[in-house]
Amino acid sequence: MRALILLLFSALSAFAQHQLYACVSNSKGYVVGAKLQPSGVFRKTAAGEWEHLGFNHPFTSALALSPLDAETMYLAAGNGVIRLGRPGSGDRWKILTGSDVTELRDITFDPHDAKTIYFTHTRGIAASNDSGVTWHNASGNLKHRYTESVRLDREKPDVLLAATEAGLFRSEDAGTHWALAGAGGFETLRVEQSPSDSCRWLATTELGGFFASTDCGKSFESIGGQVAIERSVYDLAWNTLHPHQVAAGGFGFGVAVSSDDGATWEFRNTGLPRADVWSVAWDPDHAGRLYASVHEEGVFVSQDSGKSWKLDGLPGTAVNRFYFASAKASR
Amino acid sequence: MRALWLALLLAQGLAAETPEFLVRRDKLLEFQTQPQSAGPLGYAAIAARLKLHRTPEICSRSLIKLLDAGPTGDMFWMFPVVAIAYLDQGQLSAEARSKLRDAWRTYMPYRGDTENHWLMYYTSLYLSAQLWPNEPGDRWYTGKSSQENFDEARGWIEQWVKLTTTRGQGEYDSPHYMGVYLIPMSYLAAWATDPAMKKRATMMLDYLIADYAPENVDGILVGAQSRVYDAAVLDKASNVASGFGWLWFGLGKQLPQYDQYSPWYTFASAYEPPEVLRRIATDRSQPYTHYERKRTRNRWRFEDDLHGTVYKTTFMRREYAVSSDQGGLLQPIQQHSWDVTWRVPEAQGKHNTLFTLNPHSSVRELQMYFTFGHDGMIETVVRSKKMYDSPEKLVGGSPYEHILQDQDTVIALYDVAPGARFGHVNGFFSKDLQDVVEDPSGWIFARGGEARIAFRMLQPYTWKAMEGGDRRLFSPFGRNGVVVQVATIAEYPTAELFRKAILQLPFQFDVKGIPEVTFRSLRGTAMHARWDQPPDRNKWPLFGGPFLHADVDSEMLVIQHGKLKRTLDFRTLTSTDQQ
Repeated sequence: MRALILLLFSALSAFAQHQLYACVSNSKGYVVGAKLQPSGVFRKTAAGEWEHLGFNHPFTSALALSPLDAETMYLAAGNGVIRLGRPGSGDRWKILTGSDVTELRDITFDPHDAKTIYFTHTRGIAASNDSGVTWHNASGNLKHRYTESVRLDREKPDVLLAATEAGLFRSEDAGTHWALAGAGGFETLRVEQSPSDSCRWLATTELGGFFASTDCGKSFESIGGQVAIERSVYDLAWNTLHPHQVAAGGFGFGVAVSSDDGATWEFRNTGLPRADVWSVAWDPDHAGRLYASVHEEGVFVSQDSGKSWKLDGLPGTAVNRFYFASAKASR
Repeated sequence: MRALWLALLLAQGLAAETPEFLVRRDKLLEFQTQPQSAGPLGYAAIAARLKLHRTPEICSRSLIKLLDAGPTGDMFWMFPVVAIAYLDQGQLSAEARSKLRDAWRTYMPYRGDTENHWLMYYTSLYLSAQLWPNEPGDRWYTGKSSQENFDEARGWIEQWVKLTTTRGQGEYDSPHYMGVYLIPMSYLAAWATDPAMKKRATMMLDYLIADYAPENVDGILVGAQSRVYDAAVLDKASNVASGFGWLWFGLGKQLPQYDQYSPWYTFASAYEPPEVLRRIATDRSQPYTHYERKRTRNRWRFEDDLHGTVYKTTFMRREYAVSSDQGGLLQPIQQHSWDVTWRVPEAQGKHNTLFTLNPHSSVRELQMYFTFGHDGMIETVVRSKKMYDSPEKLVGGSPYEHILQDQDTVIALYDVAPGARFGHVNGFFSKDLQDVVEDPSGWIFARGGEARIAFRMLQPYTWKAMEGGDRRLFSPFGRNGVVVQVATIAEYPTAELFRKAILQLPFQFDVKGIPEVTFRSLRGTAMHARWDQPPDRNKWPLFGGPFLHADVDSEMLVIQHGKLKRTLDFRTLTSTDQQ
């Protein structure tokens, strides 16, 4: 019977358009130099198991899929930007950066130029216009440069939004010049563009709650009331199947879901072992399926938009970022 | 005639010294050849045996077992394995050698987040790329070719040397981690085939040993330090630094199991320091003040500059040392800002030190130096640094501490911000202090070895017993301060003479408002410290004092003792001796 269910599940999964990846830290008790439990990039297989890909690495922050080659992914890691080999191909991983950057935080492709990649790190933002062969500084005039995440406007070329240690900054010239857009004085963590309205952005902070923009990221205002004030909101995910729905994960409140672009929020933690969450992701192929990484407890999944949860796998871990890649990438 | 006798004595001394170093080196090597546990030999035993050309078959079998079990340890795996690769010299079996090589393809070490991690990582990568040249990226965990790995590693090492010789080390004067700077330089001095890199590394060995030599008391590295562990800040002779002090100069006592890093130093260059460094390390015939400028660790957040400046002062004499930095948060978690360390004949197990601190623990401190998120970071740190968030802790810097030192006098002021996690001051009073008297004047008088110590807390305090007989002075006032004056028993043969001398010194303080102290020291210096008025330290040298001279940004170091002089010029990679 179990085999039949697995077979059925596999068959259904074959129709899925996306596959889930996770940047996993299994670092409970780990310090540099100690034995590391399996950590790094994991992929959820068609059978529902989590599969460890490539090298063990304690410090993986984010993944991005190459628009040029839907089977090649780029990883923001402690050792730099790493280009992952194509799954199952025997391709080698390659570190694309050198000694000038370390402990990367985020990575993303330019939707207007498939060869252009941006990543954030401990000293700002860097970019490549040739798929990672060469890199240049894109921190421009940022004074306090530690940057958690960066996103590009999918409608406006060369417009970037960055979540830095000193607030949300916007650039209109690919990172040459930056201007404060909001949340000044807050350590900002995530900034994401609405899937339905390209001028609507939502951002999260450490201790300052949510900030939203309705003018294409030019300015941000506090939003969401007191829901995450004095809390850190580590991740944010728009639901592409319900464009006004967004989920957030943080410490002290767990998972919160909003159905009005972040204006109001509802806590959804029933079934989670603790209300400390690092990352969240909506499954773009299954309405209502939401993933959350609970601090050192593992990955939990909900089939009802967070109203109930159960353990999905990777017990004891923390996921720094989930990433849904086109299924083509996992062939 | 007298000069002739002196010359003869000196010559005899020099002749006797060289074999002593070799004897110590060989003793250390011999010890390492023995298995430290059941099962296959460990990496150190394999390396020692290969160095001595012994039992290569056992070495090969053991190495295969270790590698088959799967590498772990990041750069702490890289540096032993690259040493074994160089010590092989045809002794290992083809299978062992092949597995060793292949591990550099199948295991990706993390580069780490400290200066020592990076130096070990890039030195190991440099030497491995040199050993296996002209190989494509698919033979390396980096995915880069041998040449790419080599170039990247060389670039970082050269940059590190330049930064160190212009602005000082960031992970400075750590009695534990100094070993993992000496190992990479010893490796490069022994195995780099590029004459420039070999020369640079050999000169850096002189530089690093010079950094240690004037600041040791019988081998114990004293003073303000970037990183020290909770136990080792008290039992100072147990540190790695003491192991090196014994190996290089015969200082102190050999550690029972040796330290964990000096063996690797001996497997490679086993560099014997020149006579000028031996004299600096051992000559305590005259008191002196030694100055150093260092860097903070990389400050990722909150500060305009990546590195702040650390200003160190060390007063040294035969009986004791007094050393400090300027206070403030210069390093995360393990900073040690000031202390008195007195000389004792058998230092292992002794707590021959005295100091105070504001126990500071904060998210801001950790976020400044690490990429931690706001939550869970203190919990994570406490897993390996158990005292970090304890009010009883005796290690760590504080933004609420400012320090002023003149010779053997220290004034430390505290102004703890409201809302800080811990608002009190801890003072460490050793079980090994003698004749401790709490004088009605408010001064505490004590003796450590041949050092007389006067200690004045500026606010009321109580005593907390510590395990093992030590005591923690606890003063619960955030606006606070301490004045410490040290002298020798030779200067003040009785405690009463010392007491009288201290009580006669002009001394005023205020801790109701902004903390402020005015004090004339036993040495006659008028000292004035006010919390909001730091002294001008702009002209502080990279190294200054009777033995070492280096200007900021100079890339040079002059090492001098009497007429012996060695000049290191990293701009031209030349080392010049004058006698």
